[in-house]
Amino acid sequence: MTEFMNTYGGLVLAFLGSAISVGFAGWGSVIGVGMTGVAASGVVTEDPGKFGKTLLLQALPGTQGIYGLLIGFLIWQKIGVFGNLADLTLQQGWLILFAAIPMGLVGFVSAVYQGRAAAAGCNIVAKRPEELAKGMVFAAMVETYAVLALLASFLMLAGIRV
Amino acid sequence: MAIVKMKKAHIVALQSEKQSIIKKLHKFGGLHVLNMEEQMAEEKYLELTADSDSEIVNQLEARLSQVKYSLDFISKNAKTKKTAAQSKVQVSEAEYQEYLDSYAKLEGIFNQCREIDYKHAELKNKETKIVNLIQQLEPWQNLKANFQDIKPSRNTVAVLGYVLTKFAEEFKAEYLKTGELAYYEEISSGKENTNILLIFHRDLEEQVTQIQKQYGWSKTGFNELAGTARENIDNLNCEITALKRDREALGDKAQQLLDHKSYLEILQDILTIERDKAGIVSNFGKTEKTFVLSGWVPEKYTGQLDEVLKSATQSYVLYLESPAEGEEPPVMLQNPAFAQPAEFVTEQYSLPHPSGVDPNIIMTPFYVAFFGMMVSDAVYGIILSVLTGAALLIMKPQGGLKKILGLLFLGGISTFLWGAAFGGWLGGFILPFDAWLFDPLKEPFMMLGLCLALGVLHLYVGIGIQAYKNIRAGNIMDAIYDQGFWYALLTGLMLLILPATAVVGKYLAIIGAAGMVLFAGRDKKNIVMRLMSGVLSLYNVTGFLGDVLSYLRLFALGLATGVIGTVVNSMSSMMGGTVIGYILMTFFMILGHTFNMAINVLGAYVHSSRLQYVEFFGKFYDGDGRPFNPFRIRTKHIQE
Repeated sequence: MTEFMNTYGGLVLAFLGSAISVGFAGWGSVIGVGMTGVAASGVVTEDPGKFGKTLLLQALPGTQGIYGLLIGFLIWQKIGVFGNLADLTLQQGWLILFAAIPMGLVGFVSAVYQGRAAAAGCNIVAKRPEELAKGMVFAAMVETYAVLALLASFLMLAGIRV
Repeated sequence: MAIVKMKKAHIVALQSEKQSIIKKLHKFGGLHVLNMEEQMAEEKYLELTADSDSEIVNQLEARLSQVKYSLDFISKNAKTKKTAAQSKVQVSEAEYQEYLDSYAKLEGIFNQCREIDYKHAELKNKETKIVNLIQQLEPWQNLKANFQDIKPSRNTVAVLGYVLTKFAEEFKAEYLKTGELAYYEEISSGKENTNILLIFHRDLEEQVTQIQKQYGWSKTGFNELAGTARENIDNLNCEITALKRDREALGDKAQQLLDHKSYLEILQDILTIERDKAGIVSNFGKTEKTFVLSGWVPEKYTGQLDEVLKSATQSYVLYLESPAEGEEPPVMLQNPAFAQPAEFVTEQYSLPHPSGVDPNIIMTPFYVAFFGMMVSDAVYGIILSVLTGAALLIMKPQGGLKKILGLLFLGGISTFLWGAAFGGWLGGFILPFDAWLFDPLKEPFMMLGLCLALGVLHLYVGIGIQAYKNIRAGNIMDAIYDQGFWYALLTGLMLLILPATAVVGKYLAIIGAAGMVLFAGRDKKNIVMRLMSGVLSLYNVTGFLGDVLSYLRLFALGLATGVIGTVVNSMSSMMGGTVIGYILMTFFMILGHTFNMAINVLGAYVHSSRLQYVEFFGKFYDGDGRPFNPFRIRTKHIQE
């Protein structure tokens, strides 16, 4: 077991890290975008002309999934998924795993709550379409933390030598 | 920095010349008319009563709703060919009057629309009824007898009806037990009901009724019909075809009404103009022979206003005054062309307070720079600028759309510059030049520093505007106490980080902090309270730190564009190799980069706006301005 961990553990942990980043952030975006889509459909049934505006709102909670993929991609690049897999020590594996966690965790939660804010923004579009930008800013306030998590994950990754 | 200065204008003129004056003012389009009702309640205006032309307004409103109904009807029922944006029509004075007098024509069109609408509904109703009847008849298709023949005779009873299919067998058995004088025929059997014809002798009637009750028999009757079910269905289907033909004929009629569309559109504009002219009167005050109106006019237009009045009448009074203390004139912004797009961002937040500052000129470079940093791909920048630039040149949009496109155009240029600076060319697919500045992926700490530095600069400018506001209001000491010491403290703290300037930084920070402790709470009388609130004000440093860190999003969002672009490139290049592969690769690259560009441009717009609203405006901005909304001609289809 110990020998297995020493030989393959690093890579396994790095893969787990990328899976957490891509999977959780994407999962959150799915919930957020879906929630906004439900609210947006309600608005569009009343006034089909508001499709464009509500679509803008729906796109907002989708970015976390992209950020998650981004960190996942950087991990894959680092460990050579697209060419020859690097020999990772167990420590490097752990480091990569932890570097991925901010993006996965904050990405998930922020996408869900950003979805709520954006869905509520659809109400703004329904009643006062000229105030769309305010609804977008409310949603974007949530995204700040996903952006910070992305940065944190990126900087941590950048510091790991393989 | 230009909120247009306003003057309050009061105009008194003769009732007899009211119409021509209103007409001229409407054309002039630079007077924000105020409602005088509140003023008239004051004692010195006792002689004034509220003026209004509500009768004319109501009449015009009624005609407008007819026009609107007809236009809605036509656009719903007549197929129009999509045409490119129509240019506005020129209407001469004579034609204008002709349109106004064409009430009979409007009435005719309106009635035609209503009639078609009514008939259409009637036909639809009929059709629904027939379709329902057909549905009822369908289960009886196999019945060979004519409906009129199924009726009681001297000795027999004949009935149609159905029971639930699950009871049909039992019902049949029970019924046939009554003897040979009962006839049973199953006409059809569906999932739910089984339809049955029963003929039996009169003597059995009581017995059969009993059984029917037991099994939930429901009687069906087609008393009003003659012939077999099949014949009836065929006839009804013919009727439906006929109804459809009628409906088509109605559709053709509706299509013919399309010829009136442009007439209606022009009439709509003309009636709206007349309605606005009649409606504005309700804001005026009147005496027996005169009327009074007041409103805001931009200072630079006051001369023009006088000339407009002069051209309409010889007997009038125009009295201009500056806004009184505490009075809030409506806000109109005036900026050079390059700063106009930013007005859109400001308007979305809130117009500046009339006594506040118009931030657009200062904001524009920051907004555009941040936008570009967040997208930061030279090729995307070129595409964005070319597209929006072309749209601006070809479509010549006005108002909000023009500002948005302008914003994206400037953002595109900035995106190109930052993309070139950071070496972002289509996600690294092509590399015509090395990064002019540095590659943020390779030197993340340079990039972090750049973001924070820009953030500090942006925030310092914001604090500076607050200081300017204080100085403009004559409170120079406030500017020194609040903003001066704050600058000193923050700058000092930042200098402390670098060893070379640490000493200078230390003293500067101490001076700033001491100043703040002593003076931040200067409105408090109690010396202890004053020092307490002074010390508490030092906590704002953490708020400032949070604000500065917020600018790290510039890095993160730029990073997202670059890396996603790389992902798109490497995914699609995996398909290359064969001819079909290269075609697929090109396709996916276009798709992927379009998506990446769209999502990042949206993100850049939202986050760049946020940095203005939350971080920058938070330092100085007073919103809540009312927009300047002049009495002017607004048309969609005719030239003003």
